[in-house]
Amino acid sequence: MDWLTEPLSQGFMQRAMICGVLVGGLCAAVGVFVVQRGLSFIGDGLAHAAFGGIALGLLLDVSVDHSHWVALPFTVFVALGIAFVLRSGRLGGDVATGVFFSVSFALGVLFLGLRPPDAPIVSIETILFGSILAVSPTDLYVVAGVTAASAAILLGTWTRLAYSTFDKDLAQLSGVPVALLDYTLLALTAVIIVVSVKTVGVVLVSSFIVIPAAAAGLIARSVVRMTALAVTLGIAGAGGGLIASFHLDVASGATIILGLGAMFFFALIIARR
Amino acid sequence: MSRGSKIYTIPDREKEEIVFEVANISKRFGDHVVLDDVSFFIPKGEFLCLCGPNGAGKSTFLKIVLGLLDADTGTVEIHGQRRANSKLVGYVPQRKRFHRDFPARVEELIAANLRGKWPLRVRAAEKKAVEEALERVGGSHLYGKMLAGLSGGEMQRAFLARALVTHPPLLILDEPTAGVDVSGREEFIEILYQISKSDELAAILVSHHLGEVAKTAERVLYLQNHVVAWGLPDELLGHEDLAVLKGDIRSTRYDSEIRHAKEKR
Repeated sequence: MDWLTEPLSQGFMQRAMICGVLVGGLCAAVGVFVVQRGLSFIGDGLAHAAFGGIALGLLLDVSVDHSHWVALPFTVFVALGIAFVLRSGRLGGDVATGVFFSVSFALGVLFLGLRPPDAPIVSIETILFGSILAVSPTDLYVVAGVTAASAAILLGTWTRLAYSTFDKDLAQLSGVPVALLDYTLLALTAVIIVVSVKTVGVVLVSSFIVIPAAAAGLIARSVVRMTALAVTLGIAGAGGGLIASFHLDVASGATIILGLGAMFFFALIIARR
Repeated sequence: MSRGSKIYTIPDREKEEIVFEVANISKRFGDHVVLDDVSFFIPKGEFLCLCGPNGAGKSTFLKIVLGLLDADTGTVEIHGQRRANSKLVGYVPQRKRFHRDFPARVEELIAANLRGKWPLRVRAAEKKAVEEALERVGGSHLYGKMLAGLSGGEMQRAFLARALVTHPPLLILDEPTAGVDVSGREEFIEILYQISKSDELAAILVSHHLGEVAKTAERVLYLQNHVVAWGLPDELLGHEDLAVLKGDIRSTRYDSEIRHAKEKR
């Protein structure tokens, strides 16, 4: 068991592990609905919107550690905008996301450029790829709090979310508040993404949303099992990737994504239908 | 009733129990008038075919009836109520809209309509209702099957069972046989007709294939943004003007369908 106890004997690895497992499981749970609704691209789009929000925070002279408090309303606003455009039916999800995504990313770059020359130096790489090994105890509390709240919302709306994901019209006829759930799902995804970006980075968060859900969708024969499997894969990918990156002494974010990718291809091979 | 509506033999409102009625429904998108003063009604147990070319406003009309879209003017009344719900209307959507990748079984699909939420698992009481509904559409063998693995005809039966499970007084089917082979179509329409008769269900079947349903429908309503004609199938099939009303290519197709249907009768 040394392979497990050795890395976890250190505080920063313990925090990274807890944070990775929470973020991995949570992103996968919300990802099931995002992917089944054909909105896979939204994970990416909102992560880039979060980048714009973080940059806005930095421009407003908020420190890197607190910039997610600016990114949070910014990203939720973008998510609600996408939901509104989607519901109006005038644009497809990919188009809506593509527009919001590139505009908010460009805004982010612009905001960073507008900062005064004497502003503290920020590592763009840290924002893009995260720094899961540098998770502070405060970060961890925020992640744990968001996980608990999001899990409660997802569990409370799960059966109706699943119904409206299957078919909006049929669900609405059965009395499901379809519009409210559309906005709730996107706003919740935005919140989860901002909190996750802070710890695992813009690039990793969209893989957490899409890959476990897509892999589970290939194998699972019911929505319940699909959700359970996606969460398991997200947790296993985060945990396994971290341990592997420790022993191989390679970048943790990249290792986690590659691990998730390997699971996806395995699912593709054993998919029965 | 607005411009140029031809009303043939229609049900007698005094003698019949009216299950479904729309009055003066109008809807425009920008300058485009999609529905213009549409009014008609269906008595208990009547099987009505709503026909019209593509772009005639059939889908918009259905959305308004189902409460998914608001009309600019007019009212919808189903069994005395103004707002559709799954207890009042059994709705079978167009097949191309079904979410084929969603990992769902037939019994979950049907139980979801009973419960108003997606079931984590199907309860014993629901199982009985689901089995009954499947039996009525000749689809008992579909219990336990994944939706993704069903053929076009099986999928239609599963969705029809889903619509019937709440015992609604009105059934609405949107192009239910599109993408189903010819023998499957006739069989499906026959099952539908039998159920409509035995349960005294009012039914609206939306189709641009008049010929296909003219044999079974008791009443036909031809919609082209407004009610062009409403009456018995034979009366509409004899309405030669219908085919050339707009003089467009779709009318020509409709014309050939009329001939085809007449030969069949």
